[in-house]
Amino acid sequence: MMDTDNRPFAIRQYAPAQLREALKRMYLIRRFEEGAEDSYTRGMIHGTMHLSIGQEGSAMATCMELTDDDKITSTHRGHGHCIAKGADVGRMFAEFFGKETGYCHGRGGSMHIADVKTGNLGANGIVGGGLPIAVGAALSAKRLGKSDVTVCFFGDGANNEGAFHESLNIASVWKLPVIFVCENNGYGMSTSTARSTAVPHIAQRAAAYSMPGTTVDGNDFSAVSEALHIAIARARAGEGPSLVENLTYRWRGHSKSDRNRYRTKEEIEAWMAKDPIARFRAELIAHGILDEAGADAIAAEAVADVQKGIEFAKASAAPDLSEVTRYVYAEAAL
Amino acid sequence: MNVQSNPVTSDDTSARVLSYAEAIREAMAIAMQADPTVILMGEDIGVYGGAFQVTLDLIDRFGPDRVMDTPISELGGAGVAVGAALTGLKPIFEFQFSDFAMLAMEQIVNQAAKLRYMLGGEAAVPVVFRMPSGSGTGAAAQHSQSIEAWFGHVPGLKVLQPSTPEDAKGMLLAALADPDPVMIFEHKLLYKTRGHVPEGSYLTPIGKALVRRAGSDLTIVAGSIMLHRALEAAEKLAVDGINVEVIDLRSIRPIDRETILTSVRKTGKLLVVYEGVKAYGVGAEISAMVAESDAFDYLDAPILRLGAADAPVPYNPDLERASVPQVDTIEAAARRLARREV
Amino acid sequence: MPVEVILPKVDMDMTHGTLATWHAAEGQLVQQGAALFDIETDKAAMEVEAPATGYLRQITARAGDKVAVGTTIALLYAEGEAIETLPAAETPVATSAPKSEPTGLQPTEVILPKVDMDMTHGTLAIWHVAEGDLVQQGAPLFDIETDKAAMEVEAPATGRLHHVSAKAGDKVPVGSTLAWIYPEGLAAGQAPLKTNAPEVAVQTIAPASVALTSVPPALQSTKVTVGQGTRATPAARKAARDSGMILDDVKGSGPLGRVQKADVISLMTAHMPAMDSPSFSDWSRERGPLHISRRQGTGKPIVLLHGFTADSQSWAPLDKALGSSSYLLRVDLPGHGKSPKRHVNSFQDLARMVVEAFDDATRDSEEVHLVGHSLGAALALAVADIRPRRIASLTLIAPAGLGPEIDAAALNGIVRASRVESLTPWLRRLTATPEGISDDYARAAMRARADVQLRACQTDMAQALFPDGVQSFDLRPALKRATCPTQIVWGRNDHILPYDHAIRADGEFALHLLAGAGHIPQIECPERVARIVNRMIRSVETVG
Repeated sequence: MMDTDNRPFAIRQYAPAQLREALKRMYLIRRFEEGAEDSYTRGMIHGTMHLSIGQEGSAMATCMELTDDDKITSTHRGHGHCIAKGADVGRMFAEFFGKETGYCHGRGGSMHIADVKTGNLGANGIVGGGLPIAVGAALSAKRLGKSDVTVCFFGDGANNEGAFHESLNIASVWKLPVIFVCENNGYGMSTSTARSTAVPHIAQRAAAYSMPGTTVDGNDFSAVSEALHIAIARARAGEGPSLVENLTYRWRGHSKSDRNRYRTKEEIEAWMAKDPIARFRAELIAHGILDEAGADAIAAEAVADVQKGIEFAKASAAPDLSEVTRYVYAEAAL
Repeated sequence: MNVQSNPVTSDDTSARVLSYAEAIREAMAIAMQADPTVILMGEDIGVYGGAFQVTLDLIDRFGPDRVMDTPISELGGAGVAVGAALTGLKPIFEFQFSDFAMLAMEQIVNQAAKLRYMLGGEAAVPVVFRMPSGSGTGAAAQHSQSIEAWFGHVPGLKVLQPSTPEDAKGMLLAALADPDPVMIFEHKLLYKTRGHVPEGSYLTPIGKALVRRAGSDLTIVAGSIMLHRALEAAEKLAVDGINVEVIDLRSIRPIDRETILTSVRKTGKLLVVYEGVKAYGVGAEISAMVAESDAFDYLDAPILRLGAADAPVPYNPDLERASVPQVDTIEAAARRLARREV
Repeated sequence: MPVEVILPKVDMDMTHGTLATWHAAEGQLVQQGAALFDIETDKAAMEVEAPATGYLRQITARAGDKVAVGTTIALLYAEGEAIETLPAAETPVATSAPKSEPTGLQPTEVILPKVDMDMTHGTLAIWHVAEGDLVQQGAPLFDIETDKAAMEVEAPATGRLHHVSAKAGDKVPVGSTLAWIYPEGLAAGQAPLKTNAPEVAVQTIAPASVALTSVPPALQSTKVTVGQGTRATPAARKAARDSGMILDDVKGSGPLGRVQKADVISLMTAHMPAMDSPSFSDWSRERGPLHISRRQGTGKPIVLLHGFTADSQSWAPLDKALGSSSYLLRVDLPGHGKSPKRHVNSFQDLARMVVEAFDDATRDSEEVHLVGHSLGAALALAVADIRPRRIASLTLIAPAGLGPEIDAAALNGIVRASRVESLTPWLRRLTATPEGISDDYARAAMRARADVQLRACQTDMAQALFPDGVQSFDLRPALKRATCPTQIVWGRNDHILPYDHAIRADGEFALHLLAGAGHIPQIECPERVARIVNRMIRSVETVG
């Protein structure tokens, strides 16, 4: 790579096919969540859900260099992480519809969506719940002599949980291969980071635990992937953890019960203008990775995949009611 | 305190005697020797040897990478153990006192216990939490509790309370062989008690109670240190011709329903003794289980429970002793029950 | 294509919402994101924005309507776009919704509602709207009748009534689908499937051959066989139940006199006859015809066959209740009453002896009415099977032989009891409640059983007829074959033989189930049994 190459990091670093696949997955996240939202408003999805529409760039760029052996821990706003890590949207829809074919056989739903085979250890309903678990996964990799890393997604809300501080400290003391990725969307439910967090940037917390901390534009695919590239390299080299803060925004409410009393329309519209998918698409077109027609084709593929996924989910069988206690314990053990 | 081990549990004829703490240590050493994925985590378990010296010298044998002193971070430490268990290690996490597990409730109850279910059977968390437990040491309210029933309420966990060195070793090895999270409550007063312990590796089955003393007049269900107090009370009652059956409640979850019901059908009278606070405790569960079963028709007296006073564990040694069941209180309750005075 | 406006799910547990107000009128142009309507749920009110820019048309929900989540309540059309006609098959669906799933307009299910706390079924009394007719939401749709009351049910929606599956007079379980209401414009095709609905089991009124006898409420108490006010442990209660004792009779040794198991056991052993006393195996077998007692009267004779351990005397209350004009022939079974203590090998053996006695006793009559109780009823069936042309009618009271179960403990207890104290607890199982057996009755019964030889003979017979506590003979085929008018009378509180033997039996018989009666209704309520027998006799003789 020439020093004079001033193209964005992602364009320089990744093959065109990889970049097109990344765009596809970002569209897939968006269309998946829209489809889930539509199914929800029709009463076909039970409970609630937390949509990450507007945060697709952060999810996809963070997972760009991860293999299936690398682990992630995810959050209650985890649909994007799951798809970015390689999950199948049909089985995700099946889970949301509570079907036996879902990733969690209808026991987990949106808030516990996971795909262990692609290294996603699961979304978590407890804010900060995934942080120590990610450190544990990193400990396993180190103890078992693997070069795998663990990416720990968490939100700005979690940075004020004790689990955050304990986890960063332990990971640093033990130099574990974990990257803490804070998706800072500005609000823990309705409370803004300004009102809840003593430091202006969550990445500043890293200093207390003697690890690098970086704040990037979370809607800029290239900026996020570059920050992760550096952090992953450090982790794989055995130099320990990093903290990356992706500044982003959720277009929708906290959950489906959100009445949106704490944000202005102007603020939401300003962030919608910074749509990470539109930006990444324009960047790929600008650098000749694909043309408008190619981008449209990718977007159309995502729509088709989502429709197919919903059909699959609807056609799937519900869990047997007599199996309500199945999966509480290992089956052979009982 | 010397405890006769139940003859049915061992065919080892050697008279090797170890303390309860030594038996646990031996189990950990055997497991670590056999399986490189077994690691120990906890506060001051390395050169210090743990608050109760249970891990003494293990760091010399297995090194600091496998005998890991954690920062004083119960939530983080327990969570790291959960994450490690989820991804291929078999951690044994020692809480310095079981009371401190309350700082880690989130990881134990919301994560370890539920991950397999939430993920539809696609994940396993084979972690073992060691829980030094109970009163009698003068450590007062925050270092003396018996909170095993709390975890008995959580599907996904297994909750054990070995009463003898032999079981302490066999249950720890069984817990490590189990694919689900297991909490082992070790009574602090038992650590120095000695008893016969077989050589080598063996598994004490999880979920099985044991009739430690056969009798016909009434049944006492008790575990951990309360088993020993109940056995002692039973010997005193035998002098007066009251023949007590004593069941060692080695496993709280899963509970051995059949052993308890069979005994109640035989004796018609039940006394449950436990060190946790009496209200909403292990005794409530066992009493209800019997009352709901066909064994109800065999009850010839009300079910009695003896548990801790409705107060935090007090400091004053006499108060402390009075706050939990002792041999004399067990004996008195059993006598009243046998004599139809309740 | 127009964009549909649906009533959205906005809360975790929301299934319906009330449309509070429209912010735009039909035909008005609305901008995407502008407030379109308000909804109210149990918890909160909320504004819903227009999902697209367009002209608001085809509003189906008005302010105040409660609408299911996901229902299409209007459409937004682009400028110049042609108005589509509904029905819903053509209703635009969101890109993510599959074609197969009904969205938009949906038929509304009409169910039989639960209108009473303990209601499980209701009878549809009348439809106020005919199939295919239009009905307005809130207008009377049908009437239902329950045990307690009649009630009008309103239409849950506006539209045409289709797929009516229950008609006037049908008794239907609560929650069953009765029909569907289709909004105008939605074609009624196949009846929609309702998942997890109970099957519409239309319960037919009892067929003519089964007459359910109603019982005055005073007799409907179902007291358990243990003493009511006695403090006793569960184990003591079980021991008493198993041995037919009444706890009131037991003196408790526990706190405040609570009865313990040991108290019951010690009382029982005190009363227990020596089981292996020689008198039970050692009795002299007798020969000779069975004893028959007669009461002269008019009409065809009524032949009465008593039950095991009873005798002809036991018919006395019924004799009286039947009226003095009836001609009665009472047979004492072998080893019972005044009949010789003959050895019986098997039920067939016994039946042969009874047929012999029957032939002998009824030689002068062409036809007789045959009435039997318990074992006597089984024998009556056997007689009717062998002599079908001789039987004008057959009345079986608590018949044996229709199933294997029998209370063997009571049977053995009665056979073996040697004193009134040990007989009484078992006798008390014969009636619906223990109080049904008075001390006088028990003493009289014991006097009739004072003969050790008689008890030994009956013990021997019990072993032949009820080996291992099971009824070894099966008269269900005979019941099925019976051609004469046949009726069964059974107490709902029979503790010796379960009345469901009759429910499960096949055959053309009428069944009278008597609430408040136990195993011996002819003694517990002789007037009722007499009424049933006389009614049968009258109906047969009138036709004859």
